Amino acid sequence: MKISVFGATGVVGSALLPLLMPDHDVVAVSRSARAAESGVRWIEADASSADDAARAIEGAEVVYYLVHSLGSRDFERQDQIAAENVAAACEHARVKQIVYLGGLGDDDPTASPHLRSRRETGERLSAAAVPVTTLRAAMIVGKGSAAFETIVALVDRLPAMITPSWVSTPTQPIALDDISRYLAGVCDNQAALGKSFDAGGPEVMTYRQMMERIAILRGRRPWIVEVPVLTPRLSSLWLHLVTPVGASVARPLIEGLKSPTIAREERLRTLVPFELTSFDDAAKVAFG
Amino acid sequence: MRRLATVALVLRSWKTSERMLASGGFESTQRVIASEPVVESSESGARWLGIAYWQAVNRVTRGGVRARWTNDGGRLTFLGGVSLLSFGVPELAFTGGAVSCRYAIQGGLLALQAGGSVTLAQRRADDEVELSVIVEEYVPRLAARLGAPTWTGALYAKGQSPLHAAVSRRYFELLASRAGA
Repeated sequence: MKISVFGATGVVGSALLPLLMPDHDVVAVSRSARAAESGVRWIEADASSADDAARAIEGAEVVYYLVHSLGSRDFERQDQIAAENVAAACEHARVKQIVYLGGLGDDDPTASPHLRSRRETGERLSAAAVPVTTLRAAMIVGKGSAAFETIVALVDRLPAMITPSWVSTPTQPIALDDISRYLAGVCDNQAALGKSFDAGGPEVMTYRQMMERIAILRGRRPWIVEVPVLTPRLSSLWLHLVTPVGASVARPLIEGLKSPTIAREERLRTLVPFELTSFDDAAKVAFG
Repeated sequence: MRRLATVALVLRSWKTSERMLASGGFESTQRVIASEPVVESSESGARWLGIAYWQAVNRVTRGGVRARWTNDGGRLTFLGGVSLLSFGVPELAFTGGAVSCRYAIQGGLLALQAGGSVTLAQRRADDEVELSVIVEEYVPRLAARLGAPTWTGALYAKGQSPLHAAVSRRYFELLASRAGA
């Protein structure tokens, strides 16, 4: 089966490709040119271009949509345009399934622009006549995950942290390997067509608890003080200063941390059964 | 019959009641009937019953009261500081048609003593789905003591108690709106 993967160079896309390659004819879509690799064909295309999207999808039966424009000034609009292009191209090419990775908490009426954009992207994809399978995940625990690496950088670099109230928000992070297995597992799965699934990890924790867990793994003991007055803008500027994450990425991420991101159902665990990776084990893999 | 506003799922038959038990503790119950289940019968469904409740507290108080969690349980804080109530870890249950999340009350400024609980539940009976918030054996610091003049409990009767009912109402609406999302 021919499969096109948009966002193939991203953290999740890179982990998904090796799972698809043994059984499928995989087309990896990237905005920049890539050298040829065995088992995968790279196409240089930009989802925000209708022509590029159509070219990348040609002949595909399943399309993975793992694109987001986080870090761009108008990321919400860019995400919408790209999703509309890909949805239209999929319909024209008679694609059988679109698989989309959305965000847990994106249906919160008070969701941040980042989470809202994840929901709207899903809605744009679903507007076409192609069945969409949506997996909704919280923080991905893996190397290169912006949210995870931000938390790790905070723990590593600061002996003491004055944190905003979002550190008390519950979340359900999932290992990069696990979300990749889920994504691969719903490919051409008839029971998943046109449905949305919560992809939660095995543990629920607050961001503060996550920091404390990471601190233990890193052999550190940071002092964490919560204050209610730190705004997302101040927090993102602070993160920009002390972590490798730029303010343009940090701010939408921080705004999103206000919403609980936990699974409300477990149907995916029955549909694609395997033993989920603990947070500590996933973090150790991410640390390398 | 009053109908609550929802986006995706119909709620009806709102009921609220409160009584003082012989022990001196309070029992407060809010119930509503939903047209469909709002959570599935699973650990995640039970946990969501609890998470949504604290979200409702946060929204009704416009962020003034928030839940904070540690490995040992949680506490409701006012403006990030004063601990209004403290709770044990969530006790999740899902058997057959019943899903629930229970928090034991362990103390805090609004509790005269440790004891009692808050239980958020969904129960299926016949063709109906009942959602409930049940506070049991809670001894509020602000309520009138047994035998004391009624006015001594005015802060509870006119403040905390109606606020709690408002939170429950918002909670049911939140559950319903997110169930269909």
